[in-house]
Amino acid sequence: MDYIDPHLHMVSRTTDDYETLARMGCVAISEPAFWAGFDRGSVDSFRDYFRQLTDFEPKRAAQYGITHYTWLCINAKEAENVSLSREVIAMIPDFLECKNVLGIGEIGLNKNTRNEATIFMEHVDLAVKFKQQILIHTPHLEDKYQGTRMILDMLIGDSRIDRSRVLVDHVEEHTIEHVLENGFWAGMTLYPVSKCTPQRAADMIERYGPERLMANSAGDWGPSKPTAIPDLIMELKKRGHSKELIQRVVYENPKTFFSQSKPFVHG
Amino acid sequence: MNTKPNIAERSAEKIIADEFMIARAKIVELAATLDRIERARGETADSKPMQLLLQGMHILCDDEFDKAKRVQLLMSRQYDPQWQLRMSISKKGN
Repeated sequence: MDYIDPHLHMVSRTTDDYETLARMGCVAISEPAFWAGFDRGSVDSFRDYFRQLTDFEPKRAAQYGITHYTWLCINAKEAENVSLSREVIAMIPDFLECKNVLGIGEIGLNKNTRNEATIFMEHVDLAVKFKQQILIHTPHLEDKYQGTRMILDMLIGDSRIDRSRVLVDHVEEHTIEHVLENGFWAGMTLYPVSKCTPQRAADMIERYGPERLMANSAGDWGPSKPTAIPDLIMELKKRGHSKELIQRVVYENPKTFFSQSKPFVHG
Repeated sequence: MNTKPNIAERSAEKIIADEFMIARAKIVELAATLDRIERARGETADSKPMQLLLQGMHILCDDEFDKAKRVQLLMSRQYDPQWQLRMSISKKGN
């Protein structure tokens, strides 16, 4: 079955992973900018990273018939450095016309601090100014519930935001309802230990239905599985769900959401 | 009571048949973890992680629904609806 992985950090993965993804049915991915595992030291470091995301990575993906899209930002983990964050935000417009850029992301919170919230809102300002879609990172583990509620407060309190153009990622059982009830798209991240298993993602699809809901692997440099979406497909098949339902979650929904950005041309 | 839409295809009997071995393995893992803590040096009865695990296990055994969500909330930091005021963060776009 063809599928789209809406959140996958391929700069951290090998070319062999592209081949495996292609063999398993992945036809397109979107790669949000994120933390490198260490804090980058300068705006030029981000400029090089954005070149990698907008120039090199699409070519590497294309060798395996996979279309590569991306999102740009400075990650919440680096937002405590407010001056660097502002330099990066000021530089992002240089890349917004690149043909694989879908919007601003993954922006969000990490430890739910004032600086993180400030930089989050400055990213939102940038997205609004340039009419960009937004991809949101919600915090991990014990910080997730608080951070998700804070992010939603900021978005809901901003009358300029079109909620149908915002994807709130890494939802779990205690946050999904807040996201969907407020009109945003929701992404479930399939991770081996933290976040969500394919079984729990299938449970959430059964409970909340497929409307504005998608799944991703968020594969990166840490413990993660870039081919996690086929695991979800298998789980849904095992439970007896229809091909139409599965296709909606893993292909049609990402396509519908991304189609709101001009560069998205898939299918 | 669960009032959400539910598109599950399987019956409860089918789910327990399909998933008994998986759930059994998880309970044994949890039991072995508790044994490992018990026979190690030191004291954990008052530690927060241990308290959270014990409270989480109570949720598993009670009669209420939404167990996954309730365990998640148990393990979460509190949300303060007044956080913007507390952090002096002003609303945008209004």
